[in-house]
Amino acid sequence: MQRGLVEVLILAVPAGLLGTWIVLRGLAFFAHAVGTAAFPGLVLADGLGFAAPLGAFGAALLFTGGNAALGRGRDRERDSVVALVLVGCLAGGVILASDVFGSGANVETLLFGSLLLVDGGDIALAAVAAAATIFATALAGRRWLAHGFDPGFISSPRQAALLDAALLGLIALTSVAALSVVGALLVSALFVVPAATARLLTRRMRSWQAASVALVAAEGTVGLWLSAKTDAPPGATIACVAGAAFAAVALGQAIARLPRPALVATGTLVALALLVGGCGQPGSGDDGKLAVVATTTQIGDWVREVGGGAVAVDQVLQPNTDPHEYEPRPSDVEAAAGATLVFASGDDLDGWIEQIVSDGGSDATIVDLGAAVPERLPGESSGAEASRYDPHWWHDPRNAEAAVREIGRRLASADPSHRREFERNVSSYLSRLRKLDAGIASCVGSVPAGRRKLVTDHDAFGYFADRYGIDVVGAVIPSQTTQAEPSAKDLSELVGLIEREKVEAVFPESSLSAKVAEAIANQTGAAASYTLYGDTLGPAGSSGATYLGMEAANADSLVRGFTGGRHGCRLRP
Amino acid sequence: MRRAMLEMTLLGLAGGALGCWVVLYELSYAAESLAHSIFPGLVIAAIAGVPLLYGAAPAVVVAALAIAIASRLPGVSREVGVAVVVTTMFGLGALLALSPDSPPGIETLLFGDLLGPADADLAAAALLVLLVAIALRLLHGRLLAAGFDRASTRALGFSPALLDAALLILLAAAIVVAVQGLGNLLVVAVFVGPAATARHLTDRIGPMIALSATIAVLAGLAGLYLSFYAGTAAGASVALAIVAFYLVSLPLGRLWALRPARRAPAGATIV
Amino acid sequence: MSVEALIEAAGLEAGYDGLPAVAEVSFTLAAGERLALLGPNGGGKTTILRAVLGELRPLAGTLRVAASCGSVPQTERSRLDYPVSALEVAMMGALSRLPWWRRPGRVDRDAARAALARVGLESLADETFGELSGGQRQRVLIARALVQDARVLLMDEPFTGLDHAAADRLEALIAVLAEEGHGIVIATHDLEQARRWDSVLCVNQRQIAVGPPEQTLDRPVLEATYGGAIVEIPGTGGRAILPPHHHHH
Repeated sequence: MQRGLVEVLILAVPAGLLGTWIVLRGLAFFAHAVGTAAFPGLVLADGLGFAAPLGAFGAALLFTGGNAALGRGRDRERDSVVALVLVGCLAGGVILASDVFGSGANVETLLFGSLLLVDGGDIALAAVAAAATIFATALAGRRWLAHGFDPGFISSPRQAALLDAALLGLIALTSVAALSVVGALLVSALFVVPAATARLLTRRMRSWQAASVALVAAEGTVGLWLSAKTDAPPGATIACVAGAAFAAVALGQAIARLPRPALVATGTLVALALLVGGCGQPGSGDDGKLAVVATTTQIGDWVREVGGGAVAVDQVLQPNTDPHEYEPRPSDVEAAAGATLVFASGDDLDGWIEQIVSDGGSDATIVDLGAAVPERLPGESSGAEASRYDPHWWHDPRNAEAAVREIGRRLASADPSHRREFERNVSSYLSRLRKLDAGIASCVGSVPAGRRKLVTDHDAFGYFADRYGIDVVGAVIPSQTTQAEPSAKDLSELVGLIEREKVEAVFPESSLSAKVAEAIANQTGAAASYTLYGDTLGPAGSSGATYLGMEAANADSLVRGFTGGRHGCRLRP
Repeated sequence: MRRAMLEMTLLGLAGGALGCWVVLYELSYAAESLAHSIFPGLVIAAIAGVPLLYGAAPAVVVAALAIAIASRLPGVSREVGVAVVVTTMFGLGALLALSPDSPPGIETLLFGDLLGPADADLAAAALLVLLVAIALRLLHGRLLAAGFDRASTRALGFSPALLDAALLILLAAAIVVAVQGLGNLLVVAVFVGPAATARHLTDRIGPMIALSATIAVLAGLAGLYLSFYAGTAAGASVALAIVAFYLVSLPLGRLWALRPARRAPAGATIV
Repeated sequence: MSVEALIEAAGLEAGYDGLPAVAEVSFTLAAGERLALLGPNGGGKTTILRAVLGELRPLAGTLRVAASCGSVPQTERSRLDYPVSALEVAMMGALSRLPWWRRPGRVDRDAARAALARVGLESLADETFGELSGGQRQRVLIARALVQDARVLLMDEPFTGLDHAAADRLEALIAVLAEEGHGIVIATHDLEQARRWDSVLCVNQRQIAVGPPEQTLDRPVLEATYGGAIVEIPGTGGRAILPPHHHHH
């Protein structure tokens, strides 16, 4: 957060200054375009492992050069060409990210910015951009102004072209510096909107420039604060703040032209509204409980069961959030900073927890529960989702038992005063767990072996299938993570597979879009209405809101699917 | 796969035909801005679980009004007004879509979900093709005349402003339908690329429209095949295929322009 | 025998955004009359044409246009790359006669061909508009106005960039059209040109004079129109117009 703030404040200088030129010279679209064009460069840099600004700047330069090469004439075709180039850049970036480098999750961060992405290099770049802009404005400011009105007046054509190229180049440089904070698509939030707002306030160049810089700094700061509070990307929050400021100034000016009584009335109304709707800070109190962080929903459920009232659990993932795609948020870093223990699932499912803990400067111990479980299945051997073991170990109750025991041990050693309570909770939970295990085994066992075929779009059920003798036939997304976007090829292969295996049901995972699986069901006649809980628990109030509930619900859905809806499993979790 | 091909064909027909007017009337920037500014409407509709159209329609109205008002402010040019409104609305959409409370899968609004069209989506696409076909057939002569010489439309007996409005409304409707399959960020490709490509290959409006629709469908199917064989993301593959077709047409167009002129003999009959 | 008046203007004032660009315009255009609008660039000729077309609402005065007007504008660069043939441009004129749900059909296509034939371009009907010469483009636009059945033709600087042969052809065409009863308004800044028509209206942000050229185009009028000195060129008997010069005292 601090780094982001420093970056934004430094950027305020070039962004504010250049913003005035952008508004004056009609370069708003160019500024937006150069950011967008940098996107594939960012993806390339991210994937190949070289510095992001380099990739971005390279792409931005290419775009600027190409733009200039197309000429300044109002060619009827030029608009279309630029639009196509931008779309091409976006599409290229998406394909690079999702299929070549498998970094699909980062796409949104690159497009909309991230507080946690800003590093020392970005700040240095911002400082360079600021210095260059100040220098250039002092030197060429007057000519840039004149060129806007009458290109041939002050300078020779060659001089003019050079100076204008310098302006475009500076915009490109500063846009690249801003990319980590606001993302490739919302560069205008810093470069155009504040300058436009400032223009409403003053027309004189000096005061306009000053107001513009001040507005960028203010809006950037408020936007960053909002981003940290709501965990939304900073580019989006800054854009909203900037837009709101513009609207407020415009509205204020319109109101100011009203006669005096109306003015007073409006002023009091606004003040009242602000007081009433005033931002209430959510209170945070700890009251002396042991502070623990759990990564996945299942682990969170276990820790709460074992820890009871003695432990304050902060659970990072929420129901139906995909753990493979998760991008850490500032609030997670804050929570980790104050925790004593961190329980993680392991096997690359939640590798991001290490960064969260280190970012927060926390001295919490990370407990890898996955490392301690008895039953292990091999993971994907290659590709972006490769890992040594299949990470979905919790679906085998024997593993769950080992994990719960480990949780109990760790909590007890961190807080010995509650050791008895923890041990009691562990044993009562485990007896429920074993009862459920037996119930599922007998229920699934009642289905003839040849009909126990599971077709699902998430290979999360390897352990469950292994434990209860179920055949996993195929998957819509044939990998153990959900990062890759489905391709037409995978779908077609799967339809063929279903028809060959003659299954009665397909099982879309609850935290993914069911539309794709539904399409398959339409083509093959297999039912698609059963949901399974794969990566996470279900939301509060659903059948899968707890671990035990999840396994029972899954068993019921599966058996119904195998038997064509004729019977399920009646289990009490 | 077949459903995806069907949807792509429908979207290509509508987008390619309408795209010719988008290009001739230089509405590429407007199309892109329109697509971006309806994003918050789409997100709200998706969160509320209602059809996207119910979110997109009010968003378009809000955006149009906001742009009109913003452009009137002193010191704010139309370009800046559009930039302010679009950036704010797009940012708002991103805020709603990417905050932790929103349901997963909102990303499909950004990049499209070509591979799993529901029956409702296919029906909407088919309806769009019908609408575009009827509207373009009816308005063809006037669109052609107004694009050629806006000032003379009065003499010819109609108002160019109404025509502009009709075109924009048609474009907005097309974007709303197409955004489901191609996504908010890439939808502009189908409206700009095939038409610009066709322009390189012909000098007549009739063939241009037919060629554009054909190219749109071909590029769309090519993109789907690319996705099929190379396993790449579907929506992005279609967009790249469209861009590729355009790039290929550039040298072709230059060759075409160099063909020997088919002029009439110099002594044409004089009145 | 009274000749019908196609256009009647009295004290007409027209402009943009509420500010008048031209004022005190009063004239009538009769059927068969060729009227030149003479004046410097920016003097208000195009404004008058746009007001007659109905694009601009009069700010003051009256304007009665009793017949349909066809516009023959200057061809700007953007229209040269439009994907239309000469025939398709001519056909645009048919739109004035069709309700919005009807498209131009066979009848209109034949009318367009006939109009192109009248202006001497039937062999170029299928050529791309942008590939025609300047003079040919002018004639295509005239054909468009003919398809429109316009009684009045409004031509904006039609002779610009035409060589002598093309200019002669155009002049002959205009004469024929006038004989058939069309009223023709020709905006021009060329003085010699203006002398050849039936009447001339001198305008420089306000109307200076109107009437037959021999009576109207005297020295004071020309000076007021062009804001400069008229000089007799010795030896040739011709006149030249000098740009406005500053008096230094």
